[in-house]
Amino acid sequence: MTFNLGGYAGKELHIDLTRGKITKVELSEADCKRFIGGRGMDAKTLFDSVSPGTNPLGPGNVVCLSTGPIAGLLGPTTGRVNVASKSPLTGIYGNANAGTNFGPEIKYAGYDRIVVRGRAKKPVYISIEDDDVQIRDAKHLWGEGVFETNYRLQEEHNGYDTKVAAIGPAAEKGVLYGSVIFDFWDAAGRSGVGSVIASKNLKAIAATGTGELKVADIDRYREVIEDGWKGILEDPGFKTGEHSSLGTLVCVGWGNAQGWLATKNFTEGDFDGADGISGEEFRDKYSTKDTPLPGGRACMSCPNRCKRFGRVEKGKYAGTKGNIEFEGVGAFGSKCGVSDMEAVFHAYMLANDYGMDCISCGNTIAFFMELFEKGILSKKDTGGLDLKFGNGDAMVEMVHRIGNKQGKLGELGALGTKRAARKIGKGAQKYETTIKGMETIVCDPRASKGFGFGYAVGSRGSDHLRAHPVFEMLRIPEDVGKEIFGSSESVTLRTYGGKVNMVVWHENIGAISDSMGTCRFMHASYYAGYPIPEMLAKSKGGKDTHSIKYHEWISAATGMELDYYGMLEAGARIVNLERAINVRFGIRRKDDTLPRRFIEEPLTSGAAKGQTFPEDRLNKMIDHYYRIRGWDAKTGLQKKRKLIDSGLEDVAEDLGKRKLLAKK
Amino acid sequence: MGKLVFDANLCTGCRACELACSFKKEEVFSPTKSRVRVVKIDEEGVDVPVGCEHCDDAPCIAVCPVDALYEDLETGAVLINHDTCIGCRLCIPACPFAAISHDPVAKRVYKCDMCHGEPECVKWCFTGAIKHVESLEEYTREKRKAIAEKVSEGTGVGQ
Repeated sequence: MTFNLGGYAGKELHIDLTRGKITKVELSEADCKRFIGGRGMDAKTLFDSVSPGTNPLGPGNVVCLSTGPIAGLLGPTTGRVNVASKSPLTGIYGNANAGTNFGPEIKYAGYDRIVVRGRAKKPVYISIEDDDVQIRDAKHLWGEGVFETNYRLQEEHNGYDTKVAAIGPAAEKGVLYGSVIFDFWDAAGRSGVGSVIASKNLKAIAATGTGELKVADIDRYREVIEDGWKGILEDPGFKTGEHSSLGTLVCVGWGNAQGWLATKNFTEGDFDGADGISGEEFRDKYSTKDTPLPGGRACMSCPNRCKRFGRVEKGKYAGTKGNIEFEGVGAFGSKCGVSDMEAVFHAYMLANDYGMDCISCGNTIAFFMELFEKGILSKKDTGGLDLKFGNGDAMVEMVHRIGNKQGKLGELGALGTKRAARKIGKGAQKYETTIKGMETIVCDPRASKGFGFGYAVGSRGSDHLRAHPVFEMLRIPEDVGKEIFGSSESVTLRTYGGKVNMVVWHENIGAISDSMGTCRFMHASYYAGYPIPEMLAKSKGGKDTHSIKYHEWISAATGMELDYYGMLEAGARIVNLERAINVRFGIRRKDDTLPRRFIEEPLTSGAAKGQTFPEDRLNKMIDHYYRIRGWDAKTGLQKKRKLIDSGLEDVAEDLGKRKLLAKK
Repeated sequence: MGKLVFDANLCTGCRACELACSFKKEEVFSPTKSRVRVVKIDEEGVDVPVGCEHCDDAPCIAVCPVDALYEDLETGAVLINHDTCIGCRLCIPACPFAAISHDPVAKRVYKCDMCHGEPECVKWCFTGAIKHVESLEEYTREKRKAIAEKVSEGTGVGQ
């Protein structure tokens, strides 16, 4: 059978590094129909190939780098790439995602996905130039930083036309949260997927593609993307230009005002140094483009251009440059109490060059800072560093130590917050805020109940990019919240009503976004995603609206007909498949929770002062969430009927054999 | 008449122009097939749109041995007559902007034809990094105005 869907390149690249074997496999149309692409198909590959006992850093683990059907096409953002593997940090389903030009490039070369297995005997990289795919010696690159690796591979191949995915020395040395960095600056950071790649002795992938992608219905496709594009340009949030000119750093001021900017390892709810690390500070002092608009750089085909590029010209951190994003700034900034943008920017770029997740790295340093202030870590433990909150130079030094696994704290920091806490003992665990072993992002769950609940149930552990329920942060009218999530409370940060529905909806649509290859910022998380513009228009008395309709977009590109509800079902199917993977890795109801700090300690300052996330409330929400998902309230295992109904018969069968289905 | 103006300062590097071009001209998505290209110097955070400048004294026209390249007197666009073109590709190195490409499958060269006065790349370039201006005088007037206002702001004159 020949592959017959539009949008996709149509082939997967299977690379077995143990045998040095490269196979080009036709994409399965059945899998495309069930799981769309990207994140969905990666989950399918992991479910089929990674057994529960697999050592995440052993040759038995699999790593997928995948795009989706709309990646590389014209449309409102088409540059996302998904990376998935069993995580060495959490021991469960691991996944990370980045906005790049690499994803589109591998499609122009002819491949939607790259699936890597085994382990090379010595360091290698993979070069892709259309049909010509080779496993090549990487002796000269091993040990080099991400930036040098990217630079050299462009020099050795096709210059600026070559797009590179690289891992850094931190991942080589076994830091458990190694990232993959694309095109110099774009990180797929979470879960330690870069560490898995390093464990395979794979340093990088360098790709150049000169081919073309076709869509199923040219006229319909044009109509759909023109409507989506207009939807963005007319979106009131987009029109403010804030996101475009400040990048994601717009969230620093925003989070501080709303009371959720995690500060000093979650001990406080507002940061008095927030102005020092704000988007305005970066734009005005470091941005290399002096026009407020456009200002940023963009991923493939994206009108939002939220990547701010900047440079430090003088001072001790002179020479620091790169794209900067909110989560990294929050991790090294407010979480560590550091208000010196140059130190934060430098730490951020060091982490990228070492190839470590900024969030996990910054969070672990913030955790050490609190332990130091509480006297659990001494100056002897820190090797003489005065590791107080706010000490930017000490924070930068810690990034070096972790990246090199140097000294006691460097070794501990490489393990991530949870494992380090366990090793340190002396009550340290009380101050760590991981969920399923994953460090929590810079949005405090006590101050933002939808986000907080999303962390508790997220498939890759504590993270915002499973649900990303930003409707509670935006000024959405209450009637819209009521209609779509069943409660007018859903659009308010500190209330609980409707939040479970909101998280379910966002998880489902987010899974589609990650699977088709577009960006969450461009859909219902922020802008113009169907049916929000339509509902807003109705709420304000009705006018012609334009919106990004994912279901139409996928249908027009691929030729597989998908309506809005069918799309949400596909999203739910992907979430359920990830749950099945996690169930096999031992995840149960007890793991779907929040750290004690968020349940017991009220926020001491800021707009959400006094807030906790009460346990009884959390438990009721989890009950409700499980009912919607069809998971057993007691165990968190999945129900056979529900799995079959959602098109996962094969998964139900597998879990049944392993006795991992809910009893009734 | 009209002129395409490329401004790297305004380019975000999104490459929507490349995709819009290849979609309109070839009904596929392929930067290689696009008549306009964006060079992304990621290391320095720089994006440069490059395309045909439709030169007054076009080297491609000068070098073409069979006069297949010509200036359209109505629009000012430099165009190729594919019936006359012999595929010698002399025009490719002659172009200072690398704006002429060769399709080895179709065995032909291709370049920007300014979409006969309504360039598709311009339609999708929302920051104005690629503009199609009818009058260069108007364009430079606007640019002078912007720089004058900036200088005025800096010196405090009139404030």
